Amino acid sequence: MKRSWLPSLITLVVVVFLFAPLVVLVMNSFNASRFGGEWDGFTWNWYEKLWAANEVWESLAVTLKIAVSASLASMILGTLAAYALHYFRSWLQDVHQMLITLPLVMPDILMGMSLLALFVICGVETGLLTIWIAHVTFCLSFVTMVVLGRLQDFDFTLIDAARDLGATRAQAVRKVLLPLLLPGVLAGGLLAFTLSIDDYVITFFVSGPGTTTLPLRVASMMRTSRSLPVINALSTLLIGSTFLLAALSFRLQRRT
Amino acid sequence: MSAESGRSRQWLLTLPSLAWLGVFFVIPCILVIVTAFRPADLQGGVGSGWTLETIHAVNDPSYLPIIWRTVWLSSVTTIVCVALALPMTFQMARVGPRMRQVLLLFVVIPFLSNFLIRIFAWKSLLHPEGPLTRLLHWLHLIPEDALLLNNVGTVLLVLIYTQLPFAILPLYAAAEKFDFGLLDAARDLGAGPWRSFAKVFVPGVRRGLISATLMVFVCSLGQYVIPQMVGGASDEMLGSKIAQRVFADRNLPHASALAAGLMLAVLVPMLIVAVWHRFGRKEGSA
Amino acid sequence: MDGFLVIDHVSKSFGSLRAVDDVSMSVAQGEAFSLLGPSGCGKTTLLRMIAGFERPDGGRILVGGQDITTLPPEQRPVNTVFQNYALFPHLNVWENVAFGLRMSRRPREEIRSGVDRMLELVRLSEHARKRPAQLSGGQRQRVAIARALVNRPQVLLLDEPLAALDLKLRQHMLMELNAIHEQVGTTFIYVTHDQGEAMSLSDRIAVMNNGKVEQVDSPVHLYETPRSSFVASFIGDANFFTGTVVEMQHEGYVRVSVEGLGSPLVLSKGTVSANQTLRLMVRPEKISLMLKRPPSGERVNAFRGIVEDIAYFGSHTRYRILAGEHSILAQLQRSRFSGGDIDPVRGTEVWMTFHPDEGRVVMLEGEA
Repeated sequence: MKRSWLPSLITLVVVVFLFAPLVVLVMNSFNASRFGGEWDGFTWNWYEKLWAANEVWESLAVTLKIAVSASLASMILGTLAAYALHYFRSWLQDVHQMLITLPLVMPDILMGMSLLALFVICGVETGLLTIWIAHVTFCLSFVTMVVLGRLQDFDFTLIDAARDLGATRAQAVRKVLLPLLLPGVLAGGLLAFTLSIDDYVITFFVSGPGTTTLPLRVASMMRTSRSLPVINALSTLLIGSTFLLAALSFRLQRRT
Repeated sequence: MSAESGRSRQWLLTLPSLAWLGVFFVIPCILVIVTAFRPADLQGGVGSGWTLETIHAVNDPSYLPIIWRTVWLSSVTTIVCVALALPMTFQMARVGPRMRQVLLLFVVIPFLSNFLIRIFAWKSLLHPEGPLTRLLHWLHLIPEDALLLNNVGTVLLVLIYTQLPFAILPLYAAAEKFDFGLLDAARDLGAGPWRSFAKVFVPGVRRGLISATLMVFVCSLGQYVIPQMVGGASDEMLGSKIAQRVFADRNLPHASALAAGLMLAVLVPMLIVAVWHRFGRKEGSA
Repeated sequence: MDGFLVIDHVSKSFGSLRAVDDVSMSVAQGEAFSLLGPSGCGKTTLLRMIAGFERPDGGRILVGGQDITTLPPEQRPVNTVFQNYALFPHLNVWENVAFGLRMSRRPREEIRSGVDRMLELVRLSEHARKRPAQLSGGQRQRVAIARALVNRPQVLLLDEPLAALDLKLRQHMLMELNAIHEQVGTTFIYVTHDQGEAMSLSDRIAVMNNGKVEQVDSPVHLYETPRSSFVASFIGDANFFTGTVVEMQHEGYVRVSVEGLGSPLVLSKGTVSANQTLRLMVRPEKISLMLKRPPSGERVNAFRGIVEDIAYFGSHTRYRILAGEHSILAQLQRSRFSGGDIDPVRGTEVWMTFHPDEGRVVMLEGEA
């Protein structure tokens, strides 16, 4: 049967389209020329400058702190939510489902704006805590979706089998459900981690003086043209680590 | 297991996430709507009392071009993204598992890469002294002094670039579950490749199509970083205005009014889809 | 009620559907017993109630005299081999089999010797460290059996044990199951929709339909003396005729007038009365075919028909023969055809006979 070549062509074009700018970035991080218009020679210069830029590494520390704690919190909340959504059917779960799905489609600016309004009205100072709260809020839904997917593929006869062999309900959950669900929970946590590190808009709204995350630092660097080539170097490192995290999350999700 | 312990277990499991989202999602949204009815505080906070002043201020006709621009930019972005994603996910679902993982990785990595970096990549790519501009000059495709940056076209381009993964991923999830044998059946019955694609595949991935359209459209409506970074002064979107009101003008109520409007604009298509799903489920799904 | 496993007037409904309707039976210790019936007959629900995953609405279940009706599954002296085996994918074979013993906190030594011994019984000792995903279907089933048996249950439940296996493997597992049962001596309860499976594996079978038990009997009795047309048609093939009693003779022989078949002499186990309308059953392999009319006699049932269809199966041939309004199924082994070297073809007129002992009177469904 004749297969049209159009879908493959479009796929190729889209993949190139998605990747080309990133490839250019990576190449330019080694380019001695400032504007990346021409190749001026290979250099580690920008990476050296990056290494010396303390404010970048400080902001990375802040980002990591928030990302780790936010992922942990959203893993716990998300797993509980997924279990409730999968196991029970009631009006409560209908409301629950809607509430979990809404943050996924709400634009960042609305989330950031509304949380800022909450903090201002309640008189809470913006800072690490507010950023953490914001991150957990939007990561929660993602983790729930990932874990829910795993639960839907889960063979619950295994729980029956465990009980048939003498395990109480609690033991069956501990010894059979949780170990098998763990890769899914970790994959969700990893996704949350990545989203948290990457977030700009929401963090912008709810951060305070003194809490600059990496994306915020990058944004301010983008405004001063002096630091532009260093951003290339930073970007390359970030793309590399994203690649590693994505690959890891993939492997975790595939293990049955 | 008695009914009683079942019920309390359900509440126990549901309460943590429900409470969290209730406090940090629902209440803030309500607060935004409420704040729209309050006067602005001189120090940039929210004053006491109620007023309809802000609503009247927002009714300013000067907002109309911005709203219009936001809507048409989002619509075009959505159409282009979906038009590209459909054939692409069609292809992705057809190829072998190895290739599929590779393609998926190719889509996911840009998706997970830092948002700002991706915008920055385009900024440097389209820079007047950057490679692409020089190439297009050399090929005589654009005049000498044309700027690729800071115009509405760039905003559209970068919008499409950032939103494309949001269209591809839900469509891919649906395409993966699609039974490609149906296409063979359609061809067997006389439909050509185009017609079988349009009449069998597209309806078959209906759910993913709706998710993709919704996500891209809604996400685009709220964009402000992209117009700010690669657009010109006259290319503002609604999001930029909201950000400006909050940080530059320190006028929270005004920003809230705009945000509340945006919220409504976002909720309406979502409600339509939700209602559709409810009724679709009743008459039995495909 | 006497017996090791006693089901005492058990019922279970789901909404308006009565899945199990006042079912009673008793199984002897060490017996190989089957619950047989089409899907929806209630056998799976009954199994789940014995295992403890469903609670009966009414009635009791007793094992060895102990009332287990309200006990949760983990406290019952009953173990199940699930239809999809339900092996724990994150544990290897050895750990799977040891699971139950670990749950009951048996001492380490006892666990080790128990598991090793059981793996030897099912001949999987060399696969002990493998994960379920690395095993074949037949091997997985043996792990499931070992995992259940190692706990020395008083009753072992097996849900559609041969359903997932291909033909050759099925025949092999059939013998294995019988061998294991003999060696271990535990009471086995099979649940199946396949009558061949039930007949080969069981000492006795309970045939179920629509939530009720139609007949509990040994395979031979079920086949030779089915008590209702449902049982007769579910187990093996059967030809059914309706007729009126014309003459009653002694020892249960009755002459019945059947439209298109004349008045054959048949056997009835119960009492009949004159002019009573009866249902008869004749098994296909009990019908002989001949080209010429057989000599008549008091104990000869013969009638004419036209061959409608022929299906050749290698070891036997099946004929569909039209006699009056009846479409009759006859099954012959090659050697049994008598009356010439000519095989009947479609349209051939043949004579059918059957011995009076093979014409059985059965009850219609719903009759007492």
